[in-house]
Amino acid sequence: MIRYECLELLAGRMTDQLVVTSQSGQRIEWAHLSRHEGNLLVGMMGCAVGVATGLALALPHRKVIALDSDGSVLLSLFNLATLGNLRPKNLVVYVFDNGVYSGSRISYPTATSGNTNLEAVARGAGIVNAHTIRDIADFKQKGIDALAQNELAFFVCKVEESLLHREIPRPDTDLAENKYTFVRYLERTEEKSIPFVGRG
Amino acid sequence: MRDDLAKRLVQSLKDAGINFVTYLPETRLSQIIPLLRDDPDLELIAVSSEQEAVTIAAGATLGGKQAAVYMENTGIYVSSYSLLTVGKQLGVPVLLIVGYLGGVPDQRNSFLYATIGKHTIPVLQGMGIDYMLLEDGVNLEGKIQDAVRGANALRAPFALLFAGEFSI
Repeated sequence: MIRYECLELLAGRMTDQLVVTSQSGQRIEWAHLSRHEGNLLVGMMGCAVGVATGLALALPHRKVIALDSDGSVLLSLFNLATLGNLRPKNLVVYVFDNGVYSGSRISYPTATSGNTNLEAVARGAGIVNAHTIRDIADFKQKGIDALAQNELAFFVCKVEESLLHREIPRPDTDLAENKYTFVRYLERTEEKSIPFVGRG
Repeated sequence: MRDDLAKRLVQSLKDAGINFVTYLPETRLSQIIPLLRDDPDLELIAVSSEQEAVTIAAGATLGGKQAAVYMENTGIYVSSYSLLTVGKQLGVPVLLIVGYLGGVPDQRNSFLYATIGKHTIPVLQGMGIDYMLLEDGVNLEGKIQDAVRGANALRAPFALLFAGEFSI
């Protein structure tokens, strides 16, 4: 299974969900596949699940999706303990686990290439609905079906290392621009003002 | 901290618009936790690390909340990465309510805290995070209003360091 084909399936299901991406190739691939204004392309490792959790808590009626990587989740394992206790019903986390730090350019292995099992870590942290997905059929069934469920879901998607993201154009918006597009989209769709956004 | 100061602190946060607080407990200001928890106008979220206290609060801010993080000043070091990336680089205002242990005005300062306290303000300055030191309850309400307004105007974290009377 490669990440891009999973993201293609997800992109086809986007309506009014909010999608938070971490730093890794999936951020570039997702931005290439989806121009949805509800995309927040957070470009920092270890921050996407936290930001997505805050969004899910602030907007419990909206489905929030976090797209993350094994290296990023390993950097912020405390997120799993917090999620395992909060269990926000409107949050779905997809961890695309290729077992390497592909951004390092030398594909240095992550702990999931060794003895670490992120599904087991998530379950131990209290996330009951945690699963490992190993093929695209399973992703289509379990991974996509979770979008329609009202339960915290955590998917460890075992993917091959792919360097496809180096061949497609990077997002043409910067972080601040993307943030404002995102909050203006929320203001429109939630029919409320976001307190910190300027009024000119 | 005296009970009346704790009550004024929480009421001031509410008056300044704060309605979402992530936290890890500490010793100096811990009397505010039951007040925050029992207030129906506030959402109080317990977390496992100050790093995620900041990212979760930032997500809530983007979702329309006026968010704060309550932490010990050791949490400034722990969360420095998310303060710089999500807070400063992405530009998301978050109020930091910080028990300032080990600084000169900490009334319970000791060898255990002094090194942590000595570097807190230089680290905030190094990150370019604005801060205000509060040593007593004089104009507490106005100072908290100023800090929230400042965070929103700067689109950045703003730290309130509580010591002095707040550390007794």
